[in-house]
Amino acid sequence: MSGPADSSGQTRRGAAQPANPADVTERYAQRPQGSFKALLRLLPYAKPFRMQFLIVFVLVVVFNLSNVYQPYLVKVAIDRDLSNGAHNYTGLLHISLLYVGLVLVGVLASFAQIMVLQYSGQSIIRQIRLDLFRHIERQSMKFFDETAIGRLVTNVSSDTETVSQFFTQFFLSMVRDGLSVLMTIVAMFELDWRIASYAMVLIPILFGISMAFRKHLRQAYQVTRTRLSSIVAFLAENLAGIRITQIFHQERRQARAFEVLNSAHRQANVWNYQVSVLFNRTFELLGNLAVAAVVWVGGSAVLRHAILFGTLYAFITYIRQFFQPINALTQQWNTLQASMVSADRIGRVFMVEPIVEEPIQADPVVVDDVAGLVEFRDVSFAYQTGRPVLHHIDFRVEPGQLVGVVGATGAGKSSIMSLLTRFYDPTEGQICIDGRDIRTMAQRDLHRVVGLVQQDVYLFSGTIADNIRLFRSDISDETVVASAKAVGAHEMISRLPRGYDTPLYGKGANLSMGERQLIAFARVVALNPKILILDEATASLDSQTEELVNIGLQAVSQNRTTLVIAHRLATIRHADVILVLERGRIVERGTHEELLALGGLYAELHRKSGIEAAPEENRPHQETYASSVLVHPTRVPE
Amino acid sequence: MTERTKVQDPKHLLRDYMWAHKWLYAFGFLCIVVSEFVSVQFPNIIGQFTDRLQAHQLTMAGVLHYVGLLFIVGAGYVVLYGFGQMSNGRLGRIFEYQLRKRLFEHWELLPTAYFRKRSIGDLLNHAMTDVQTVREALSQGLNILTNALFLLAAALVMTFRTVSVKLTLVSIIPLLFLPVFIIWWGPKIRDSSRRAQEALSDMAELTEESLTAIRLIKATANEDVEALRFTRRVDEIVRRQMGVFRKTAMFQSVIPFLGSLSFAIALLYGGYLTITRQIQLGGFVAFTLYLGMIMQPLQQLGFVFNNFQRASASLLRLGVLFSELPSITDPEHPIEVQTIEGAIEVRLPSFQYEDADVPTLQDVAFSVQPGQTLGIVGRTGAGKTTLVNLFPRIFDPPPGTVFIDGHDVRDLALVTLREAIAYVPQDGFLFSTTIRENIGFSKEHPTDEELLEAARHASFLEEIETFPDGLDTVVGERGVSLSGGQKQRAAIARAFLKNAPILILDDSLSAVDMNTEKRIIASIDRLRKGKTNIIIAHRLSAVRHADQIIVLDGGRVVERGTHESLLAAGGIYASMVALQAGEGVTA
Repeated sequence: MSGPADSSGQTRRGAAQPANPADVTERYAQRPQGSFKALLRLLPYAKPFRMQFLIVFVLVVVFNLSNVYQPYLVKVAIDRDLSNGAHNYTGLLHISLLYVGLVLVGVLASFAQIMVLQYSGQSIIRQIRLDLFRHIERQSMKFFDETAIGRLVTNVSSDTETVSQFFTQFFLSMVRDGLSVLMTIVAMFELDWRIASYAMVLIPILFGISMAFRKHLRQAYQVTRTRLSSIVAFLAENLAGIRITQIFHQERRQARAFEVLNSAHRQANVWNYQVSVLFNRTFELLGNLAVAAVVWVGGSAVLRHAILFGTLYAFITYIRQFFQPINALTQQWNTLQASMVSADRIGRVFMVEPIVEEPIQADPVVVDDVAGLVEFRDVSFAYQTGRPVLHHIDFRVEPGQLVGVVGATGAGKSSIMSLLTRFYDPTEGQICIDGRDIRTMAQRDLHRVVGLVQQDVYLFSGTIADNIRLFRSDISDETVVASAKAVGAHEMISRLPRGYDTPLYGKGANLSMGERQLIAFARVVALNPKILILDEATASLDSQTEELVNIGLQAVSQNRTTLVIAHRLATIRHADVILVLERGRIVERGTHEELLALGGLYAELHRKSGIEAAPEENRPHQETYASSVLVHPTRVPE
Repeated sequence: MTERTKVQDPKHLLRDYMWAHKWLYAFGFLCIVVSEFVSVQFPNIIGQFTDRLQAHQLTMAGVLHYVGLLFIVGAGYVVLYGFGQMSNGRLGRIFEYQLRKRLFEHWELLPTAYFRKRSIGDLLNHAMTDVQTVREALSQGLNILTNALFLLAAALVMTFRTVSVKLTLVSIIPLLFLPVFIIWWGPKIRDSSRRAQEALSDMAELTEESLTAIRLIKATANEDVEALRFTRRVDEIVRRQMGVFRKTAMFQSVIPFLGSLSFAIALLYGGYLTITRQIQLGGFVAFTLYLGMIMQPLQQLGFVFNNFQRASASLLRLGVLFSELPSITDPEHPIEVQTIEGAIEVRLPSFQYEDADVPTLQDVAFSVQPGQTLGIVGRTGAGKTTLVNLFPRIFDPPPGTVFIDGHDVRDLALVTLREAIAYVPQDGFLFSTTIRENIGFSKEHPTDEELLEAARHASFLEEIETFPDGLDTVVGERGVSLSGGQKQRAAIARAFLKNAPILILDDSLSAVDMNTEKRIIASIDRLRKGKTNIIIAHRLSAVRHADQIIVLDGGRVVERGTHESLLAAGGIYASMVALQAGEGVTA
């Protein structure tokens, strides 16, 4: 008669649920699959904590013993001190003190056991998370092209959390509840083996009931969950597309569609509840009947003077103690299921190996010694086999030169950038820096040499200074300010309420597009790479911002080999070499003047852009670009 | 849909619901209450059994008598309580369903501006978690409260009557701290578990941020720095989680300890009373059992208190959601209009989003005659989408600034206005249902012919034929995933089927190839003779044949004219054309 079974679980819910709102859909959309094997593969993470698990085991034994001994103490009190004429008050006092002491030991053991176990569990997920994060960071771009970031976030945040429940909740329940069943059984046999043997009849019955219900319970649970996840998916989609519903004035139709899902869930939800109530009550009924049976068997034994009354009392208590852990054990099924699914998902991520491989033995690159000579030697490339995007690209950029790459969208400009940074490897040919194939360099070294400013400026939540130094401790405040000054961002930053310490919200929503670009430029100056790739983003900026960005752009390209992927011809007018790309091939190359004289695609582009005698004529660093022309203008035959 | 604008307080909904089901609730309560009175007989029976056994008054038949009693009590309690629990649980779940239904219908009435300000994840959390918390209080909370109150009362009455008032009062002292402790300590656990959750979402945010910027991180060899930042977040989680565990472990230790103190007192004092013959051994045995019965409801009262507190916070949050009034509604006296011709006039001095510091649109004025096509071009962020969203009142223009057929859009009934406009969003938003339902979204029961015809004009027919189930192919996450261009064409077909006087394409040809674009533009020319079209485009080929083109820059109309006149003017439009020359636009 343990009262309502659904009152439990209030306090045990210690581990935090994933709170990331984007996770909500994921959390409800857990599909039941996965295997025990996947869990076992994560077992090495638990290995360093063998000692802790052993301690937990010992503490659980202590805790359980203290529980099992409590009824025994009362039995002693009844039979020795209280029954029929025994007036042993001192004995009673001892027993009472012993009782409190026993409970205290149990409570302390339980406290210690929770702390040790949870600490181990937390340390295990911590390690899994760190490894997972580093593993994901190591992947090549192709992986990120193909994998939704939201999914990876779920892997890192909630899947790990679920798996940790296996190491804590599941492990604990197996040990604590399993042991407590065993110990109760042993205690009963100690007391009186005959009555205890009768009690053993319960085990197959309990097992049978659990088996009979398990299928229904699981099915009801899964159907409810699936339907709930449909509701979440429907809501997420419809809130995102509410504009469409409203413009098409289909509110009623969508409400009806929601009604279908919602009431299907209600049905399953009620059914699920009823099945679990039925299961719990059946268990309880069995418990109560078992007590009646014990009174019958034990009572007649007392009548025959086969046992003392205290023994019967202890039996009644033990029988009731017997049911709790068994009930708790059956509840672990869902935990196990969920952990297996999550372990499976984590395992899948761990199994992926980066396509762009690190060289087995890489001679370190001394960044300061790099001159900055860039060569593409007959490079071809395809994102997907059979669909090449670059054909036989061949060019050479001398240290300190500025090279412009122009061409229509999809001509392959960005692919050139991605190859030089080794986001992808070319399918044919070779890319060299200072004559050394970049595939022989550690990627880390390569990326210290080659810097990149992309069209989309990524900003991190942190201060402006953090964003310029990218959280690196080796870049001083002075460097940050100097870099910002170099690109003309200092004034803009100083105007902000807290200057360099102004925090950026929501991916830099408190900055304009141009301001964000300037931060990206300052970042590159602070990192000071020998070779810089600029994927110009001015195409979508308004006119005032453009000016701001242009100044910054000139500052960054100083003193380094620079490749500019240009969307406006004005930017690269003064480049040492301009490469004109068409459908993955370099079709023209030369300086602005030479290409104009050639009268080809570039000249055509230029004529239409109508920017003769642009005001940028008096740009400060013009002289540096006017240096030697390396490649003579040629029209490459197609 | 427009009449139901009155505020729905979820508290009232709850009260009305309970009142409407008062008989079922009465039944549920009655079951639980009776079950408690049955259940408290149990220790008493055991006690009597003990005494009679000890007094050697029992024969085998007597034992069986008690066994029978125990059987009846045991089964009766379970059955009665089960019924009450099921009934209340069912009612709670039906309320959960109704609350979600109301919430969705309420959301449907709110304008886009509302959703702009909020993350969908947060709204979902309300719809799922808050609603569930309310339901938990309503079913489980009520069950436990009823159970606890009556069990406590019944157990106390039984001990007073059958054992000893003195013993009960003395032993119960430590237990009285239970609810106090739970009410005091419970929120602390919740607080620290909230802080742990915050650390968890911090980490999730950082992960998302880092992985979104993975190119930058790789390009700057910043992996280690990111990993370090990540490690700090993870360590913070461990630290805060351990705080949670310390508090819960404390909680789980104090409760049994208080219980054991009571029990020790009962043992000592009860033993003394037994030895001094003030009570009998049976009474003592029964009392030890009753103590368990008293301890449980006292514990539960604490939990229920916390549970109700949580639920009332959830109700409050839901109340805030429900109190949001639809800001874009029908005018009080909508102008009766038979047909809309499609004449558009805009005289907009300024439009500013509520949450913005500067106006998005300024000094925008133009007019479009029925049957004309208007092209709108400009850079990202120039205000093109904002402008066209004013026509169907997705965002509300200021009064007297946007007119259709000479009527202020704010004076028309929303139905009339929105029936008159077909809109294709940039992302070609589709629902995860069948193609049939998506294209036929504007109609209740479109025929196959209509659907296929619309698809054909949108150059989407060939794709449909390659899909496994044709029109009944499910798209989206659980079906065929469509490319950006396919989505756009499906959305165009959807708009064609609506066949409204005004068609708006919001850069909805950006992902289709040049030839397809040409075919779709040709379809528009053919299908929509005499109707008004507004085409926003980045690729200028889509607007070159428009009757009128306006160029927006920084929220202002900076150029206007036809393709030829703008080209001749040599301004922004001309330079855009030049830039796109490489893509063969002007070829």
